[in-house]
Amino acid sequence: MTAVGTSVVRSDGEAKVRGDAIFGVDLAVHGMLHARLLRAPVPAGFIRRIDTSRAAASPGVHDVVTGADVRNDRTGIVVSDSPLFAADYITYEGEPIAAVVADTPELAEAAIRKIELEIDETAPVATPEQALSPGSRLVHPAWAEFDIAGGAEFARGGNIAAEILSDPGDIDAAFAGADHVVEDSYRAPRQYQAYLEPKMALATYEAGRYTIQVSHQYPFRIRDRLAQVLDVPKSAIRVVGHHIGGGFGAKLDLGLEPYAAVLARRTGRPIKMVNTASEERLTAPCRDNATVKIRSAVGRDGTILAQDVDVVYDSGAYANNGPALVSIPMFMYGSIYRVGTVRIRSRMAYTNTAPTGAFRGVSGPYLVFAAERHMDHIANELGRDRREYRLASLAADGHKMRNGQALEQLSILREAFDLVEEHVPWAGSGQGQQSNGKLRGIGIAAAVWLTNPAPGQATVKLNEDGTLTVVTAATDSGSGAVFTGLRQIAAECLGLAADQVTITMPDTDVAGFDAGSQGSRTTHVAGRAVLDATTEVRKRVLEKAASMLEAASEDLVIEDGDIHVAGVPDMRVSISQVAMAATFGQGPIVGTGSYTTPPPPHDPACTTGMLFSTWPTPTYHVHYAEVEVDPVTGQVSVERYVIAQEVGRAINPDAIMGQVQGGVAQGLGYALWERMDIEDARYVQRNFETHGLPLACDMPEVEAILMEHPEAAGPYGAKGAAEPPIVPVAAVIANAVSDAIGAPIDTIPITPEAVLEALER
Amino acid sequence: MQFCRAHSLDEALELLGQWGGDGCLLAGGTDVMVQYNSGAITPGAFIHIEGIEPLSAISINGRTTLGALNTHAKLAADGDIASRHPAVARAARLVGGWQTQTVGTVGGNLCNGSPAADLAPPLLIADAHVTLTSLNGERRLPLDDFFIDRRATARRPDELLTLIDLDPVPPRGGEHYVKLGRRGAMDVAIVGLAARLGLGDDGNIAFARVAVCSVTATPRRIREVEAALVGVPLEAGAFAAAGQALVAAVSPIDDARATASYRRRVLPGLLERAVLRCGEDIRP
Amino acid sequence: MTDDQSVPVRFTVNGREQELQVGAGETLLRTLRDRLYLTGAKEGCLEGECGACTVLVDGAPVDSCILATAAMEGREVRTVEGLSQVDQISPLQQAFLDHAAVQCGFCIPGILMTLTALLERQPSPTREGIETALAGNICRCTGYRQIVEAAMAVAAEETS
Repeated sequence: MTAVGTSVVRSDGEAKVRGDAIFGVDLAVHGMLHARLLRAPVPAGFIRRIDTSRAAASPGVHDVVTGADVRNDRTGIVVSDSPLFAADYITYEGEPIAAVVADTPELAEAAIRKIELEIDETAPVATPEQALSPGSRLVHPAWAEFDIAGGAEFARGGNIAAEILSDPGDIDAAFAGADHVVEDSYRAPRQYQAYLEPKMALATYEAGRYTIQVSHQYPFRIRDRLAQVLDVPKSAIRVVGHHIGGGFGAKLDLGLEPYAAVLARRTGRPIKMVNTASEERLTAPCRDNATVKIRSAVGRDGTILAQDVDVVYDSGAYANNGPALVSIPMFMYGSIYRVGTVRIRSRMAYTNTAPTGAFRGVSGPYLVFAAERHMDHIANELGRDRREYRLASLAADGHKMRNGQALEQLSILREAFDLVEEHVPWAGSGQGQQSNGKLRGIGIAAAVWLTNPAPGQATVKLNEDGTLTVVTAATDSGSGAVFTGLRQIAAECLGLAADQVTITMPDTDVAGFDAGSQGSRTTHVAGRAVLDATTEVRKRVLEKAASMLEAASEDLVIEDGDIHVAGVPDMRVSISQVAMAATFGQGPIVGTGSYTTPPPPHDPACTTGMLFSTWPTPTYHVHYAEVEVDPVTGQVSVERYVIAQEVGRAINPDAIMGQVQGGVAQGLGYALWERMDIEDARYVQRNFETHGLPLACDMPEVEAILMEHPEAAGPYGAKGAAEPPIVPVAAVIANAVSDAIGAPIDTIPITPEAVLEALER
Repeated sequence: MQFCRAHSLDEALELLGQWGGDGCLLAGGTDVMVQYNSGAITPGAFIHIEGIEPLSAISINGRTTLGALNTHAKLAADGDIASRHPAVARAARLVGGWQTQTVGTVGGNLCNGSPAADLAPPLLIADAHVTLTSLNGERRLPLDDFFIDRRATARRPDELLTLIDLDPVPPRGGEHYVKLGRRGAMDVAIVGLAARLGLGDDGNIAFARVAVCSVTATPRRIREVEAALVGVPLEAGAFAAAGQALVAAVSPIDDARATASYRRRVLPGLLERAVLRCGEDIRP
Repeated sequence: MTDDQSVPVRFTVNGREQELQVGAGETLLRTLRDRLYLTGAKEGCLEGECGACTVLVDGAPVDSCILATAAMEGREVRTVEGLSQVDQISPLQQAFLDHAAVQCGFCIPGILMTLTALLERQPSPTREGIETALAGNICRCTGYRQIVEAAMAVAAEETS
């Protein structure tokens, strides 16, 4: 191994440190115009009148459109519930109502302010609890008429955008026979992805085709969704990707693209749109706020006989990908610990708030927060040590999750607990007050996470200078999965150095389908496609070299860009000589690869309504934290943070450490500092300062132990690594704070105020 | 909008007289430009005063006199400020980040009338007075009287805040500024509290000044607490009465950063922290 | 903003004299990006909170998104484009590559400018000094550790 397993420098690195890298917001084309949106100023109401005549007459304005001027059919990923513009009623503050095209963004904004809008404001459905309460006003009165975009119908109705129920039917009996019943209710807020580059789009329309230039995690999703919105064939749309200034899930669905596309066609000019920071904060598809109720029946010996789990989360005004995500509790309860039987109900409610969506580790951070806080509670109830109780409750290899899928390598979790223990021996609980006056506490939490299986494709070309070009629509929103990972995989396969591999930026006209940077899938899935494509190139290189060297191809060795006969170093030919000879002999050498993770065996009958039915390529994680709580202010400082993370195979260790540190930082922000409170269906914190993202001075050094258990299907054994570091963080911090103050913290963020209140209780 | 460059104090006062309330003073711009970018203000002119050199001076003559254009970065780094006004230096270091400290000025910090002005409490405990200058002359008033309400100060539209004069920390005295935010930096204060103490021969507190920001609608001195601290020994646990006096004297604000009840909870502990920290700096 | 008076202003950018007519309320960030095509500095918040727009004015870091260009008369501005030469990047830039300090890279130009100012004042800052200096620069990707380590490595080279 030369390329794989080393921390090679990312190919986009130098352009990024020079300030030369072109991000979406940096794009400009000749003759482009700028568009801005009029966004709903209230969370709910009926549009009584909209008059755009003054805006249309405003200086520099080229076009003004509302829902009445364009195709405004409802579309969606799973359920067709979202119009382009709110035309009759408003469902959330920030919803687009009209768009203006002008010579500059400022002129467009000035014209937007001249649109006359009359709204009959109605009381918003502000919370999921309110949405699900009997007699609540419906966020979408016409929900029953919405088409199912994804094919199969699923459980939904009224304000319930989606629901699953997994009820084995035997839990009441288990509760009746329990020695202890432990019951908790956990709450988690929204979390804003807070990428620094706002969403943007640059659209052109030419001869019946749209070209959309973006900085987006999933260009093919834009193609497919735009085809729905515009009612044109997918082939009429080309999406070209540029460097992405952060996404974390927020740039997976449509943003400004359809508006730019529609306006480009109407005006005949290129249209650039960029959200302002405040528009982003108002409309980003935040991690959903949620409530998780868990009730456990526990036997005298600590055996968990049954669990009853009820999850309610906030979809906001539209469903997005949510109906698939209601399934995730199925993989988070009764998965890693032995539980006799589990009933799970999971519901997603429409509210008059901005639609929620994907954020690194969808649903995981609050589901694991609930699961692992609850484990602490049970252990405390039993008088057992919290770590020991977890180890005693860990299930064995082959344990089946609620979907019937077996976790064949669950014992990796025990290894993770052991490695953390070697690194920082567990000191039990109740560390108490320290000499500095602070209260100290420790916490531990475990989780299993998946590697997203969605498909990817790669074409690998052998260039005549002996280097490779990888053509793929896989995107790199920062992790390095494309700019180092895929290059290393191709290089390793052909015995090259990583810098001898060039990788293209995504272009849906050029590359095969790829499901984008989500769910830690790029290294594993796109990487496998790259490996298969390069393996084909390698095979043809060896065949050609064999004929040139008059040897059998299986006797050949590839080393440092040369091919020689094993044991006869003088009989050699360079890869570039082979490439030249092949190109002008038989034709250029090109390989292709396509991959999607096959669904693991499972039991489809385990539940109703499950759109996301398996948990492919699982990885295993244990986190440990030590915190200090200031009893005067209630503030929490993280003194130590240790993780053991299983990655299959570390293709680029430094890049994985970057994901670990970054993921834990986002998790700490979620647990401790970041706020996206909602009052009366409006966000309270409306800028970076009140929001409270972690700063350099807030971050502890994360001590990470990477565990390698190579996965046969993955490229060189790699599994997903980028999402999981955020998943157990809120759980472990809440456990440590609860330990420090001797009182349960069951709501995040763990505000200083909540800490003081708990201390006083 | 116009951009008017004032190269001298006289020019600035002329421009102010000319533009009145429609002229927006621009020094470091850390507040003004944010408001301008968002459309919250639409002035007829920026009157750019950053280049008026005399207003960037620090002079010492018994009291300390600060030109209003001293930046946070300069107050944080200046040797005289560090020795004579350690709480001012500390507060200056805690305002925003390095980028805003580079250009943000003490005059701006006071004139925008924010309840959260970090420099205000350390200036208030130093008996700061501000000088307001206009074409009609100048007037000097206590900083306590300068703050009128949230976003409202005693500065008239034609006046420029030119100077701030203040008392240095006395011999056998110490001062400290405690800032409570959510994170390690960058936050607008949830509570800011400055304390200055002098010890008597008996080792007990002989005089005290306490001021807060982000607690009430304006930064202000809390004289009730000062009275309660006098005569108290400088030791942990001795400040319960002073803490109660503090909580009784204010009715804290509720905002996006914290509730009133949280502010009430933390005030006594922060007071104790600031007072004890003052004590550490008092030379025996 | 659109009916602003046009104001003449002269200042240097990366050592080069610029003589421009700018809008009275135009930000330095806008001028750099749209008039001078120096797109390294980024707009992340337009309110001086994220630091993606950080440039140096007379050697000190500022948020160019809340600085009026018309106020730059006679000043010396440096941007990320000024840190490197055609065939060479600065030791700090190289350290960012070597320490995998770059992920999405949107914040990096601003962070490099803040750290450049720090290292020019203090060739061997402490870890805490680096973290404090970076308070005004948000990075959502990295959790800062590899960024701080890159800066530490340059500082160590300076002292060795």
